[in-house]
Amino acid sequence: MNKPFIVSASIADPLLAVPETGKAILDAAEATGLDLLVVGRAGARPFDAQVVLAWAAPMSARIGLVATVPASNAHPFHVARALSAVDFLSAGRTGWSVIPEGAEQGMAEDMVGAARALWDGWGSDTLIIDKASGRYLDASKVKASNYEGPFFKVAGPVNAMRPQVGQPVLVVDAAAAIAIEDADIALVDDAGEATGATKRLLKVDASADMAAIAARFEAGEIDGVHFTLSDAMAELPAIATLCADLREAHPAGPGNLRESLGLPLPATASNQPDGARVPEIA
Amino acid sequence: MTKQIHLWAFLQGIGFYPTAWKHERARPAGVFSMDYYASVAKLVEKGCFDAIVFGDQLQSRGAGGRTPERMAMPTLDPVTLLTAMGAVTRHVGLVATISTTFNTPEMLAERFATMERMTGGRAGWNIVTSVHPDTAGNFGLDEMPPKGERYTNAADVVAKACELWAQMDRAGPALPQGRPVLVQAGQSPQGRDFAARTAEAIFCPAATIEAGVEFRNDLRSRIAAVGRNPDGTRVMPGLSCVLGGTEDEARANHKAIMDLADPALAIEYLSESLCCDMTGFDPEAPLDHEHVIANTLLPAADVARAVTPAGEAGTPLREFAMNFMLNPRGHNVFIGTPEQMADMMITWRDEGACDGFTLQPSYMPGGLEDFVEGVIPILQQRGRYRTEYPGSTLRETLGLSPRVEDAA
Ligand SMILES: Cc1cc2nc3c(=O)[nH]c(=O)nc-3n(C[C@H](O)[C@H](O)[C@H](O)COP(=O)(O)O)c2cc1C
Repeated sequence: MNKPFIVSASIADPLLAVPETGKAILDAAEATGLDLLVVGRAGARPFDAQVVLAWAAPMSARIGLVATVPASNAHPFHVARALSAVDFLSAGRTGWSVIPEGAEQGMAEDMVGAARALWDGWGSDTLIIDKASGRYLDASKVKASNYEGPFFKVAGPVNAMRPQVGQPVLVVDAAAAIAIEDADIALVDDAGEATGATKRLLKVDASADMAAIAARFEAGEIDGVHFTLSDAMAELPAIATLCADLREAHPAGPGNLRESLGLPLPATASNQPDGARVPEIA
Repeated sequence: MTKQIHLWAFLQGIGFYPTAWKHERARPAGVFSMDYYASVAKLVEKGCFDAIVFGDQLQSRGAGGRTPERMAMPTLDPVTLLTAMGAVTRHVGLVATISTTFNTPEMLAERFATMERMTGGRAGWNIVTSVHPDTAGNFGLDEMPPKGERYTNAADVVAKACELWAQMDRAGPALPQGRPVLVQAGQSPQGRDFAARTAEAIFCPAATIEAGVEFRNDLRSRIAAVGRNPDGTRVMPGLSCVLGGTEDEARANHKAIMDLADPALAIEYLSESLCCDMTGFDPEAPLDHEHVIANTLLPAADVARAVTPAGEAGTPLREFAMNFMLNPRGHNVFIGTPEQMADMMITWRDEGACDGFTLQPSYMPGGLEDFVEGVIPILQQRGRYRTEYPGSTLRETLGLSPRVEDAA
């Protein structure tokens, strides 16, 4: 099976949060064929990446949208809810990256645990929405989360439905002080670095040796690359050129973000094999 | 000089009535898709509404051990929905409800500032303190802080948020309005005082024109008493409607919506609204108001006002619940032709019952379509409603000062 070569970039430019410039940057990111746009990063606020994602959802069609969430300035109930909404509005293209910036030790992990518990309070086949029978949902598929961690205690479930991707794709930066063993994607500085994640993206810049990267990809050491953008409009075209061959040989698949990148749905009791469904209604 | 009518569209959920999602012209699955929000946002903008408003609840569905199976889900996150709707429109304002009890000033200031920038100055904040007791558990508390404490805290949170916006505005990129428009929804004397000191617009229930006049006069005198200009605040009571080409047709349309509810559903909805489970009670027995008052999770005095008269009169639970469904939240419900509705709206405006209305379509999107196609052209022909937007920010649309220069 041909696994996709994943191309990701992070952007923390305040110009992304202004409509005129933001639209141009987003269009350029899509034109580059980026799989993931990680919005925000440690040391670079001030804008709320979850709100940027809400704006970007209808403005984009294919790109995975990842919100950076500083654990010190967020609450899992609000985060779980906002990301669930972004995921529906983007038809399943949502991810998140919790950063421990400014937070006490353990808080970022607690944020992840709490939000996951909130999403898991909904079965993926909860909604019925049948006008004839009058049944809107199956109550047996809704359960309290009752999460209790060192920082957050949340009854749950999230009051807005499970995201289509089950849980948004979790991205961790291996350089950050966050101990998550089951992330979907890790951004690593060194291909040998030990981090528990389904996929590993090597952090590179525009001078990267693509032949060496291709070799590491073929050897299964890495699943793609991650660029840190400082001048998006200048750098995005260069990234497109750099990654063109590898992308063409190993394209992402169709479907939502998990499907297209080959990331499994989180295995929770309430998540069905084919993910959350909203019934079609005439 | 004819007074202009302001209009907001309250679009949370799938319509005013709990049965609305079952209507043949309702699209209940739409509330999970961008297509739906894009199409209704464009329709609202075509109708030149000032703003779209979303309420918010922070208690979980299924909290308290009961999950009603037959009621539509209230909402996805309002800031997310409104920002996405802002991305596909150019003029319409976007008023999001955010609780001061369960957000820090830093959290909400950052969210609104981003929304304000990304939508070119169209953000408004409906400031609420959260009432539902089951909200507490989602934020690690055993119970809600008392109402007095919530309002004191709200004043602090608003002041701190305004300070943060002033800082962000100076640091740039600028916040187009300086800060979001401050909106308030609340009715008690405490709520009114808070509104008088803070609000630039108020969303309230007023079932009759007299109630509207009373509320608006009271608010305006409270505003003047704290040294603010009453003309700097818009009073926007809720208004739901069912329209028809003739009065008979409107009544038939209304009956068709009501017929979507059976007594059991009405009792389930009543239980949710009063925070007291009555689904196991005999529908033909008199409403047990004492039980409700003793067991409700809401402030008992508020609930007592709603149930005591019917309970003392021996009204059967079924009948009370069905009547409750006719007007669940104390708003003005209009049933008639578009002409009659336009007349009513003009009369309310001229009599000082409001500055405009917060339209709550009976079902979605059909109820909104009927209003935009039927009533708005009449208001425009009579010179009482705009035919285009005066500018791009919500403040301009509301006719308020275009920018708050130093929000702090
Ligand atoms: C028209 C109207 C709409 C409201 N919408 C919300 C809402 O969406 N979310 C919320 O938490 N509270 C909402 N509230 C509750 C108020 O913010 C307030 O907490 C409540 O009315 C109790 O305060 P009061 O006694 O001053 O009215 C609403 C109130 C009114 C009157």
